[in-house]
Amino acid sequence: MHELSIALSVLDIVRTAAAESGLASVTVVRLRVGRASGVHPDSLRFAFDCSKADTPAEGATLEIEEVPVGGHCDACDRDFTNPEPYVLACPLCGATSFRVTTGDELHVLDLEGEP
Amino acid sequence: MKVKVVTNILKANTRIAEENRRVLHERGITTINLMSSPGAGKTTLLARTIRDLGAKIRFGVIEGDIQGTHDAEVIAALDVPVIQINTAGGCHLDANMVQSVLPELPLEAIDLLVIENVGNLVCPAEFDLGEDAKAMLLSITEGDDKPLKYPRMFRECEALLVNKVDLAPHLDVNLEKIRADALGLNPALQVFEVSARSGQGLEAWYAWLQGKLQS
Repeated sequence: MHELSIALSVLDIVRTAAAESGLASVTVVRLRVGRASGVHPDSLRFAFDCSKADTPAEGATLEIEEVPVGGHCDACDRDFTNPEPYVLACPLCGATSFRVTTGDELHVLDLEGEP
Repeated sequence: MKVKVVTNILKANTRIAEENRRVLHERGITTINLMSSPGAGKTTLLARTIRDLGAKIRFGVIEGDIQGTHDAEVIAALDVPVIQINTAGGCHLDANMVQSVLPELPLEAIDLLVIENVGNLVCPAEFDLGEDAKAMLLSITEGDDKPLKYPRMFRECEALLVNKVDLAPHLDVNLEKIRADALGLNPALQVFEVSARSGQGLEAWYAWLQGKLQS
């Protein structure tokens, strides 16, 4: 979709965080990406690798922690994980009175690197 | 060495969107982000809405398109301040693009700012522009399978205009399925069945829009 602009935002965040913590080269960038965030991990890895030259993350690998879509059903009062990105009904009891609580994440978690 | 970051990747966009919202609220302006696939009737709906409500509400419009000024010309002909943004291939508007054109609009003379997004049912849903509400159109010629194929757009919006209902007798589309699937994704969604061409059903949309105005 628009993974290239997401990759460029990741590199901006990495550049700032590396400068603040005195990392000259970054070796690992760890992201958390929800399955309903609209971001495809393989496309994001590709876009990241295409854009990282001449940045502190030039030699970095991208590690992506995918977060499944989950929520809480008010009808059966249970937490659930949904196999599909979008929840149409509680997968446990079929009710529609539920709240989606995870799956929209799009975060840079941490970096590893050398000073 | 490991460094904790924990930063939202869309943070830059969200921060600019918050600034846009603050600037617009200071002027008492309500902003609607209007989205749909290409050809669903956004510009036709907007032109008709301006013609019907223009005596009561001072409109301003930002037009987002990949290229060209067709839509801005349609709106400018109605004597409404309008700015065209060309994304030059970009699939959506972002908060930064909106921020960069706000100084070109006469904000002191606008009550309701409508941002007509790039025609696309996917990417525009994910970018906050600083609007007060997102509204979308689905034209019935697109088919009744769209809510389940493009769920995020239907989940993000407060209002759904099911447009071109005057064509229903000529199509196999199931209007009840559109409504049921859209409400399944988003139970709070306001659904209006309209024809921007004939004017059918627009009164309810106008009442919703006027209810959004800042007092």
